[in-house]
Amino acid sequence: MPKLLQLLKRRKVNCKIIDSTIELLIDESIYSVDVLHKCFYWYSSGYDITILRSDIADGCLQVQISPKNKSNEFEADCLISRIKQDLIDYKLRDIVTKETQSIRELIIAKAFAYYNLDTNPATDVSDPVGFNPNHVNG
Amino acid sequence: MDNLPVKNTRKFKTEEHYNNSSSYHLLPFRFHRITSFKEVLVNEIGDFLLVPIGTAKAIITKSFTRNQNEELYGDLMANFFISETPIPELLDVLAVRYRTRKSFLDYFTSLHIFVITLRCEHTCHYCQVSRVNKDIDAFNMQKHHIDAGIDLMMKSPNPDITMEFQGGEALLAFDKIIYAIERTKVEASKYNKNISYVICTNLAPLTDDILHYCKNNNILISTSLDGPDYIHNQNRHRPQKNSYELAIDGIRKCRETLGEENVSALLTTTALSLKYPFEIVDEYYSQGFRNIFLRPISPYGFATHNDNKNKYETSTFLDFYKSALGRIIEYNLQGKFYREDYASIILKKVLTPFPVGYVDLQSPTGMINNVIVFNYDGKVYATDESRMLAEMNDYTFLLGTVENSYEDIFYGTKALELSEYWLNETLPGCSECAFQGYCGSDPVFNYATQGSLVGFRPTSAFCQKNMEIIRYLFELMDSDKRIEKIFKSWIVGRT
Repeated sequence: MPKLLQLLKRRKVNCKIIDSTIELLIDESIYSVDVLHKCFYWYSSGYDITILRSDIADGCLQVQISPKNKSNEFEADCLISRIKQDLIDYKLRDIVTKETQSIRELIIAKAFAYYNLDTNPATDVSDPVGFNPNHVNG
Repeated sequence: MDNLPVKNTRKFKTEEHYNNSSSYHLLPFRFHRITSFKEVLVNEIGDFLLVPIGTAKAIITKSFTRNQNEELYGDLMANFFISETPIPELLDVLAVRYRTRKSFLDYFTSLHIFVITLRCEHTCHYCQVSRVNKDIDAFNMQKHHIDAGIDLMMKSPNPDITMEFQGGEALLAFDKIIYAIERTKVEASKYNKNISYVICTNLAPLTDDILHYCKNNNILISTSLDGPDYIHNQNRHRPQKNSYELAIDGIRKCRETLGEENVSALLTTTALSLKYPFEIVDEYYSQGFRNIFLRPISPYGFATHNDNKNKYETSTFLDFYKSALGRIIEYNLQGKFYREDYASIILKKVLTPFPVGYVDLQSPTGMINNVIVFNYDGKVYATDESRMLAEMNDYTFLLGTVENSYEDIFYGTKALELSEYWLNETLPGCSECAFQGYCGSDPVFNYATQGSLVGFRPTSAFCQKNMEIIRYLFELMDSDKRIEKIFKSWIVGRT
C-alpha cells in the first residue's frame, strides 16, 4: 500500500472539499456500511449523498456530500464536525443493536408466546428454616 | 429421612462475589441527547435514565466500570440496561413488561366510528368532508349500512367497545343515531359487549330532547372549542357568525344535564390559532375545563406533499405548543390543576409501564388494530383521516364496505398490505430512535404528507413534532422537580 494511503488509513475519517462537495474517506473496519447508511439517512433531505467503495484506498468507503440547493450550502467545518459526532453515535447504536439482537428476539418471542409458566420457581428457593413449599400437598 | 431434599439455605457470599462484576453484557437500549449536558437512555421496555452526555458511550464501549459510579451501575442493572449474565436472570420479567406495553393489542379493535351523516350547517374552511348542504338526505347513513356496521362491530373480539358518531354534524341525523343505539343495545346484550357511546358535535343543533336521550343512554358529548370567540368564529363559519356562542351555551346545557365529566372539548389548531397560545389556554380554563388537548394542525388538505411548508408549519406549531404548555404549567405552579392531554399521553408512556389507547401514537399503529371507520356511504376505512383522503378521491385506505365479511376487512389483503408499514420498530429512522417506545407509526400521515406509506423521517412533520415534544418534556422534568411533580399529577389525575 502506498505510504499516503497508509497514512490515510491510520485516521478513521478523512475529509476533502471540492467545490461544494465534501468527500469523506472512511475506514470500513471502524464504520461499517450499515452505520454509514443509518447516519447519512438523516442528511439526505438537504444533501445528495453517495456512498461508494473507495478505489484509491483499500478497506475504505467514500462518501460524497453535496447540497441539494443553495439554501443548504454548508459551513464545512461545522458540517464535518456534526457528521463525525453522528458517526460515533450511530456506531454506538450499531454496537448495541448487534450485541443485543438475540436478547431482543428472546424478549419479544417470550412476550408474545402463549406458554404455561412452570408451577415451581426455576431459581433456587431460599429455605432457611427447612420448609420447602414444593413438598406441600395441595 | 434419606429421601428428604438437600436443604437450600441462604449463604453469605464472599466479597469477591460482589466485586467480580467488572464485565457486563449490554441489554437492548437506545439513547438521545436532551440538552448540551444530558442524554437519556431508554431501554426496550421504555424505562429511562437521564445521565450526563457521554454516559452511553462509556457503557457501550465498556469503559464504564462499577467502581466509577456504584449508584449508576446499580440503576443500570436494576432497570435492565446491562446484565451480569449473558441472558438476564429476570428475562421473564422483561418479557412480561414488554407484553404489558403492547397490551393495547390484546383485545383488538375498540373504537368504531360511524360517520352518521356528512351534512353540516357549518362551513369551516379547513374541513375536508362536510361541505354539504344540510338538507340533502343522500349524505345520511342508510339503515341497512348502520345494521351491517353494527353486525361487524359485534364481531370484534373486544368486550369493551366505543361507538362514536361523527359527521358532518352528527346531531343533524339524530334519528339515525337513535336507531343505531337502540339496535346496538339489543345486539350488545346478545354478544355480551359493554358499549360506550360518544357523539362528536359542534352543539349548534342541540335540543332538550337530544339532551334527555343522551342522559338516559349515558352518551358522552365530545365538542369543539377552538379558543375565544375571535378564533372560534373565524375557524368555524356559520352564516349567523355565532358558532362560539352556540358551543358555549351547548357546553353549559350538557354539563347541567349530563354532568361535567360527560362533556369534553377538542381544539382544532389552525394557522390563526398559532398566534394565540395564551388566549386559547386561558379560554379553556375560564370555561371550566381542567384539561386541553393541543392537537397539531391536520395535514389533510392544506399542507400535503410540501416538505418545506410542513417543516415550517411544524416548527411554528412547536413554538405555539411550548408557549401554551408553559402557560398551563404556570396555572399548576399556582396550585390550579390543569392538564395538557398530548403531553399526558406521552408522559404516561414515559413514567408508567402501561400503554395508552391513543391511536396516533401506537406501534403497531392504531388503524384497524384499535379503530375502524364506517363511512356514511357504507365504505369502511382504516382511520378517520383515511376517509378524509377519500373525500379528496384517494382510496388508498379503503378496506371494503360494511357488506364485506369481518375477515375480509380486518384480516384481508389491504390490511395485510398496510401492516408492512405500521411498526415503527421496523421503519428507517425509527428503528434505533430512543423515543421509539413513546412514539408510534402513522402510515396515513406519511402517505398524506409525503406520498409514501414508509415516510421519510428527515422531513417528516410527525417525526419532527414528536421528537421535539418528547425531548422537551424530558428537558422540563430535568430542569425543575416541581414540573416533574406536576407531570406526575397529570397521569394520575387531580392532586
